[in-house]
Amino acid sequence: MVTTGTRQAPPRPRPRPRGSRVSRGYRVFQAVNAVILTGVVVVTLYPFVNIVARSLSDEAYIIAGQVSLVPRGFNLETYRLVMSDSMFWTNYRNTVVYTVVATVIAIVLTTCYAYVLSKKHLRGRSALVGIAVFTMFFSGGLIPNYVLVTSLGMKNTIWAIAVPNAINVFNLLVMKAFFESLPVELEEAAAVDGLNTYGILLRIVLPLSKAVAATMVLFYAVSFWNSWFAAFLYLDQQDLWPVTVYLRNLIAGATGAENVGAIAEADEVQAEATLKAVTIVLTTLPILLVYPFVQRYFVSGVMLGAVKG
Amino acid sequence: MFHRSRRRLAVAAAGLLALTTLVACGDDSSDANDLAENRVGAMADYGVGAQFKATEPLAFSVLYNNHSNYPLKNEWLFWSELTKRTNVKLEPVAVPASDYEQKRSLLIGAGDAPFIIPKTYPNQEDAYVSSGAILPVSDYLDLMPNLKDKISKWNLGPEIDTLRQADGKFYLLPGVHEKPWHDYSLAVRTDVLDELGLAVPKTWDELYTVLKAMKAKYPATYPFSDRWSKPHPGGNLLNLLAVTHGLAGAGWNYQHASWDPNARKFQYTAATEQYKQLLQYLNKLVTEGLLDPESFTQTDDQARQKLANGKSFVISANAQTLVNDHRPDLAKTIPNAKLTKIPLLVGPAGEINPASRLENGVMISKKARESKNFVAMMQFVDWLWYSDVGQEFARWGVEGTTFVKDSAGKRTLAADVNVVGLNPKASKHLQKDFGFYNGVFAYGGNPDLVQAFFSAEEQEFQRVMNARAPIPVAPPYPFTDEEREQASLWETPLRDHVTQASLQFILGQRDLSQWDAYLTELKGKNMDQYLEMVNKAYDRYQKEHS
Repeated sequence: MVTTGTRQAPPRPRPRPRGSRVSRGYRVFQAVNAVILTGVVVVTLYPFVNIVARSLSDEAYIIAGQVSLVPRGFNLETYRLVMSDSMFWTNYRNTVVYTVVATVIAIVLTTCYAYVLSKKHLRGRSALVGIAVFTMFFSGGLIPNYVLVTSLGMKNTIWAIAVPNAINVFNLLVMKAFFESLPVELEEAAAVDGLNTYGILLRIVLPLSKAVAATMVLFYAVSFWNSWFAAFLYLDQQDLWPVTVYLRNLIAGATGAENVGAIAEADEVQAEATLKAVTIVLTTLPILLVYPFVQRYFVSGVMLGAVKG
Repeated sequence: MFHRSRRRLAVAAAGLLALTTLVACGDDSSDANDLAENRVGAMADYGVGAQFKATEPLAFSVLYNNHSNYPLKNEWLFWSELTKRTNVKLEPVAVPASDYEQKRSLLIGAGDAPFIIPKTYPNQEDAYVSSGAILPVSDYLDLMPNLKDKISKWNLGPEIDTLRQADGKFYLLPGVHEKPWHDYSLAVRTDVLDELGLAVPKTWDELYTVLKAMKAKYPATYPFSDRWSKPHPGGNLLNLLAVTHGLAGAGWNYQHASWDPNARKFQYTAATEQYKQLLQYLNKLVTEGLLDPESFTQTDDQARQKLANGKSFVISANAQTLVNDHRPDLAKTIPNAKLTKIPLLVGPAGEINPASRLENGVMISKKARESKNFVAMMQFVDWLWYSDVGQEFARWGVEGTTFVKDSAGKRTLAADVNVVGLNPKASKHLQKDFGFYNGVFAYGGNPDLVQAFFSAEEQEFQRVMNARAPIPVAPPYPFTDEEREQASLWETPLRDHVTQASLQFILGQRDLSQWDAYLTELKGKNMDQYLEMVNKAYDRYQKEHS
């Protein structure tokens, strides 16, 4: 995705030279460009297609190394096995809920913090920035964090997932840079027209910041969707886990040497190679579907803010 | 003024320190005996053969290793029947099996661990001993008549001694087996043996002859291509060779110190003559094209693929990979192939069974000691994990529901219950639907229990292995905290160098005539100091505790 971003980021060149004015060199350049970029597309897409093909293939063909782009020995058995467990759906629902709630919290908090930091006349601004940046380099450590979250009574609640990770400093700084790039005159004009600080933020600044907001939503949503560590640390009940923990455990169960000496049912052996592929498809697909809708903001949004900041 | 107050402070601090030491000591000495306030719910007449039942309803927290083979369900018969029989309700703290150890460390470190911490392998408890968060269970064995009975009946004393720390106590209640249970060995294509008119090899030398014959018949193959090389090259193969050469372990089970019973001291495993011999043996196999050099670098999948496609005939295996991996692979590619897990090949150490009789066990949180129900809890743990009835319950379930017993005492699974494919058409599953045969609660026992759900061929394998002599247990050499820290600093570079040099010797990149140079390199990595520390710890332990 980053590749696509940088490729499109530079402003469009002047209208393309037409007819005889197209120089030979330019055409060669275009041809080379097309070849290289097609290569990049292939290299980027191949692993995805391969994973999908594997997830639909028979284990034996994967072991024999015969699966590349097209599924061999097509079957949906592993999908059926994974999806027939009601816990899978419980955990999937948890993931959706955690992602939505955590993203909303994160966006609200990050926006507020970033907007405040973008005001150059704010006293103590550098201290506030410093506090945020400090956490990029130093953290309390695993056990103190655990003790803190536990003693705040957030263990086994959604807040343990959503609150400690609500502000990502990198995202905060990007957003701050974006807000700083907005013309001050707009806000002054709004103030003259009688808007207070909140009005300016809600009616002027935010509507102009859809791009960066959409990007932040994407960043946060993807990271909450994929995260498993916080859930693993703070959730002690199976029906609270997100699907990432469920699938991670499933793979470990299929590959681990548990119950050595005992033999699992032949038809229930979750083919390890297929299982991994199915897992990847099931966890990435939904979030992958979000990308196309946010991509246009992504391109013109965050890079713009970052460059100017 | 300032000076004086500081001195006063120092005196006060020293006094406080002395006081805490005294209190700590006082605590320690009375600890084991004074249980008067911890007996609520305990049975007064609990003993071997008695059914534990708490005198009032109790609840204990337990760390639960949530494995995908038996994902936790609250409606399991296991929980309800357990409560019915013992009056104890277990409150599981579910942890994904994928990261069980990490979460366990975290919970213990944060002081938030449940009272009962099962599924802990011997030596894993070492890391927690100095923190003081784990109970020295050896002080409370009197509360556990069944465990004591099994230790004396099965002569487990030497094994238990290996668990002891520098203070002479042990902190883990291990899973105990009556007989050692060895699983890992080699699997051989017996149809190829038949074709060549050869018998199943019994020793490593016979294996060489067999491989040689296979190579003669199929020159394009490497007859032996091994798996389990990641992250430890030749993980299983080196270990099998090491233990059959009388060493403590190599490969994925690398043990720095091996006990030399003749010299009555420890020697450095990878510097012994036996280790050199086994390298020589492997080097011979590689040089003559009998052992695939890629055995030490390839992934398991690559090794499986070679076996499945008839490019190799011998591979490391355990009961599970034999049935789950290799046979289904072969069924698709070479339908008339026959693959068998052969009994562990015999080496210079003779016919031995190298498996330990201890397996993963239970730690108890120190804070449980403060509970008024402590005695009842220890009795409960003793009943569930160590009594015959408790072990049968954890493994087989409830008679009449999940299994039936004939007049001779032989147990059979109920017709509508399945486990490990014994009743493939049954509607319910012993592990998933009832919660029995659960790795958290079912450990060890006598061979009858351990092998309850083994296939006939695996039981035969175990019969052969059990006829062999168990290896003598090496004496303990518990490190102090400082020594352990120092040891871990030395161990990593030593092990890295051993791995690297072993591979070079095996693959012929380095000639075995350079063995002495290799020993010098190990010395440069503090091998001698390490050994000295081990032997010192051994002597100290002998002096203090024997």
